[in-house]
Amino acid sequence: MNASFDSRLLNLVIFSPLVFAAVLALLPKTEKGQLRSLTLAGMLVNFALTVWAFLRFQSHGPEFQLEYRVNWVSEIGLSYHLGVDGLAIALVLLTGLLGPLVVLASWTFVDHRVKEFHLALLLLQTAMLGALCSLDVLLFYVFFEAMLIPMYLLIGVWGAEERQMAAMKFFLYTLVGSLLMLVALLAVYFIAQPTGARSFDYATLYNGLLQANQQVAQCVQQGLTADTCTTASPAALALLKYGPFMFLAFALAFAIKVPMFPFHTWLPDAHVQAPVAGSMVLAGVMLKMGTFGFWRFAVPLFPQAARQYQLAIGVIAVIGIVYGALMCLAQRDIKKLIAYSSVSHLGYCMLGIAAFTPEGATGSAYQMLNHGVSTSALFLLFGMLYERRHVRLMSDYGGIAKVMPVFATFFLIITFSSVAVPGTNGFVGEFLVLLGSFKSHLPLWVSALAATAVVLGAAYMLWMVQRVFFGPLTHSENKGLSDMNAREWVTALPLVVLVLVMGLQPQPLLDVIAPSTRHYIDRALFASGPEHQDLRRVQINVRGLEPEVAAAPPGQKLNPAPLAVPMGSVRLLPATTPPVPHGIPPPVAAPLPTLGH
Amino acid sequence: MPSFSIQDFMPIFPAAILAVGAMALLLSEAFLVSVPHASASRGYQAVIGVITAAFAGTVAFHNAFEDPRVVLQGFAVLDPFSSFVTVVVAVTVGLAVLLSAGFLKHRNAERGEFYALMLFAAAGMSLLALSAEFITLFVNLEVLSVATYALTAYLRRGTRPAEAGFKYFILGAFSGALLLYGAALLYGATGTTKLAGMAEVLRAASSGDKAWLVYCGMVLVATGFAFKVAAVPFHMWTPDVYEGAPTPVTALMSAGVKAAAFVALIRVFVALAPGLGPQVPFVLFGGLALLTMVAGNLMALPQRNVKRMLAYSSVAHAGYVLLGVTALFAPAAGTEGHGMGVLSASPLLGQVPASAHADIYKAILFYLLGYAVTTIGSFGVLAALERREDETRGTTWDLDRFAGLAHSKPGWAIAMAACMLSLGGIPPTVGFMGKLLVFRAAVDAGLLGLAIVGVLTSAAAAYYYLRVVVYMFMRNAAEGAAVPERHWQTDVALAVATAGVILLGILPGPVTAWLTQATMLALR
Repeated sequence: MNASFDSRLLNLVIFSPLVFAAVLALLPKTEKGQLRSLTLAGMLVNFALTVWAFLRFQSHGPEFQLEYRVNWVSEIGLSYHLGVDGLAIALVLLTGLLGPLVVLASWTFVDHRVKEFHLALLLLQTAMLGALCSLDVLLFYVFFEAMLIPMYLLIGVWGAEERQMAAMKFFLYTLVGSLLMLVALLAVYFIAQPTGARSFDYATLYNGLLQANQQVAQCVQQGLTADTCTTASPAALALLKYGPFMFLAFALAFAIKVPMFPFHTWLPDAHVQAPVAGSMVLAGVMLKMGTFGFWRFAVPLFPQAARQYQLAIGVIAVIGIVYGALMCLAQRDIKKLIAYSSVSHLGYCMLGIAAFTPEGATGSAYQMLNHGVSTSALFLLFGMLYERRHVRLMSDYGGIAKVMPVFATFFLIITFSSVAVPGTNGFVGEFLVLLGSFKSHLPLWVSALAATAVVLGAAYMLWMVQRVFFGPLTHSENKGLSDMNAREWVTALPLVVLVLVMGLQPQPLLDVIAPSTRHYIDRALFASGPEHQDLRRVQINVRGLEPEVAAAPPGQKLNPAPLAVPMGSVRLLPATTPPVPHGIPPPVAAPLPTLGH
Repeated sequence: MPSFSIQDFMPIFPAAILAVGAMALLLSEAFLVSVPHASASRGYQAVIGVITAAFAGTVAFHNAFEDPRVVLQGFAVLDPFSSFVTVVVAVTVGLAVLLSAGFLKHRNAERGEFYALMLFAAAGMSLLALSAEFITLFVNLEVLSVATYALTAYLRRGTRPAEAGFKYFILGAFSGALLLYGAALLYGATGTTKLAGMAEVLRAASSGDKAWLVYCGMVLVATGFAFKVAAVPFHMWTPDVYEGAPTPVTALMSAGVKAAAFVALIRVFVALAPGLGPQVPFVLFGGLALLTMVAGNLMALPQRNVKRMLAYSSVAHAGYVLLGVTALFAPAAGTEGHGMGVLSASPLLGQVPASAHADIYKAILFYLLGYAVTTIGSFGVLAALERREDETRGTTWDLDRFAGLAHSKPGWAIAMAACMLSLGGIPPTVGFMGKLLVFRAAVDAGLLGLAIVGVLTSAAAAYYYLRVVVYMFMRNAAEGAAVPERHWQTDVALAVATAGVILLGILPGPVTAWLTQATMLALR
């Protein structure tokens, strides 16, 4: 396969749902079958493309692959820059897989405004894939926000009784966090590079902050503040002074999205009210944007501040784990229980991220994928039950295994994954997270508490399964329930298979994630000690912009439309040439100030 | 006898074209109407209006590539800054004329005078943007205001238009008088009314015994402008006037009048600030921006009347533009240690870079353009949904009117949703790009506190904008709700506005590249 096609592949991945959405918009409203089939076809094409992209990704290649970059708004240094690392491509694959399943899951469930529903699904798919593939921070922000609109409509139009309130809450919570992040992002943008070289590109921002971060770490190790640290450059001083606030702004935006403990209140409402498709996408992909954001942006950009708040994040993560589990124990509503179990599971993800150890980070990345598979499978399976009975309380069920044996089997397997029984994917992730957490600087009691909560997890899930599936058939309405039909088999089977495959054979996926994990740990620990000072280990190499467009100095008469760089003119770097160091001061030429103790 | 070359008259060509078009429309009413009291024969009038606006806009666009200079003996300037605003005004008035066509036909009130008044108002806006002398500025402000007073009270049905027109007239005259009084005080201190050269004289005057004259004059001029741009606490007239005026006129007021007034304000204060030191305008506009952003958004929150909500939202948006204006006057080295709280300026790297100012002008202009397109779109949908029968009732613009719109009129619902998201600053719309540029400029100038207030208030604003979306997409229409009439002119205007909202949000590149030029001011 030629290389210039690779550079377009992510564009295809992101925009293929949009193309299908455009075709869908032309179909008449009443042709429900056609609308559904076309959306399914679009999602399948999209899935095939994500698989292709996944196969083209080489785990031993450069950090960011399948890159594509053109100018977008050159005056403010905005470029349309795509690229994926190991974690991103794994999440892209997960998103692609969930696409067709979501359509199948709502095949009969959604029966009014079918056209708008499927349009929203396709737009959501584009926005989510775009956010995962963006290497320009502002592009990420645009997709991150754009994701809200279709999801807001999915919850608000096709949701349950209290849908409007839930949709509004979901939207506003996320918006507040992300707007504060926007201010912090602007501050980073101004600090990272001098006038004329400014860019929202991830690599430019990150590389531009490296030396400042190094100086900040030195000042902090010497116990100096912004007023007393005289050796630091202006950028480092600004970072020293505002860095913690900027980190907190980023962290708040992503913590709301994850959601971490005190900001989780929107999640149960959104999940309970959302239609099956909404819950699946929300749990499967959108929550990952939070953990992904910590991993990609919040921690690497502000390593010093992140280490400063390590304990706080770890403690909050554990509070989330325990609190989520306790809330699950108290629930009678099954959907709410699954929602709170999300809070608990994502607590593990955050604990792994905050551990700053290779095991913890790997476990956290794996747990993101696991949660995407198992929680969306739980919502999917419960959606089947809900479609038959339209009640959500545990007490309305009981003995379901007698009438729906196959369904009960599927549900049980997913439950095992959720409670991390060995042999399922959940075990691999949670085990690695706990291992990483015990090996980290976090106090022992934090990890011990997290480990204990695994028992709680088993308790609430198994208790729920017991009350729903076993025992006598107490309700006469449940006697006539039919077992899974062919469509439901097709929908649920991939996820169940994935649970087992990821549990028994985790190595291939772990290999893809491993380089990302290594980079994440290097960046999180950057400048934390004498052995972590090598700029070349952490700096990001990406493709540069076409020079004649990028080099136009600001203020000069600009061509009115430098936007559309012809498709053919984007040059792909041959694999052998060293990647263009983009906006980085040569690491060796700038002598590092010695640590004065 | 001064000699003028044709070059001197270049900046006023767009205004002249608008005025000629307006007179043609007035004459058409006398000579070209076959049936005196029916709208049927007046379909061509809106077309004349749009063509005039397009022509004026093209000429203004051409002017924008001229070098900035002072013309007409210092009474006016020709610079890309003012030409850009004329383009915005031309776009606004063109779309407003299109909206009016359907609106007036529905009420059987289509007359040439209405369009003529709109064009006269646009001519006033264009001239206001290029005035470089206080008397000229005041006269042009009145040209624009008198036309809008008349437009406000144009529909003489019920008490609302009369009340709105009267209120607008009284308060407009009052604010005009304040501005004139301030200009008179400045004249007393400096002996000149021309902006060019006033700064040097001011520097001497503001340190001598005439200092109080200078400061009182500045504050009065700023107050006069604050009335016009509807900054809190000088916004009291806005909701009533915006609600009472015919909806297309409201659109014109909130987009065009505001843009022209902001440009005049910036021109006056940028020209005079060197004579005062930037601290005075910084504190003045910083305070106004803070109050306007917070109060405007908070007052919009409880509104169920969409037209009033949009009126308060227009107040709030003036706050974001004022944030940009404040950034223009931010002290280069910051105000740390002066104890100004959220108003303090602390540049991230210690110093505001020299390049910051061009970025701020660009941000303000882009914001004004984006806001103009968006507000035309949102008032346009509102106008399309209005029914003549309800005009005297209080519920004409109630949120319930929007219930189920996604079902009955999906096109309008999408247009309104795009505009609401844009007003809320959510990508991928022009409102997001505008906010991004303004907040970027503010952060660059070190206005971290104000920028944070700005983003928090715009998050609160998302609530009331989204409520409209909730009603359109998530509620069902009441039984027996009347289906509004459609007019092709309205549909065209809405399509253009919506396309602008989305395209400028995704690909702002051509406009921002062009704006890099428009940041050149003839007077600094």
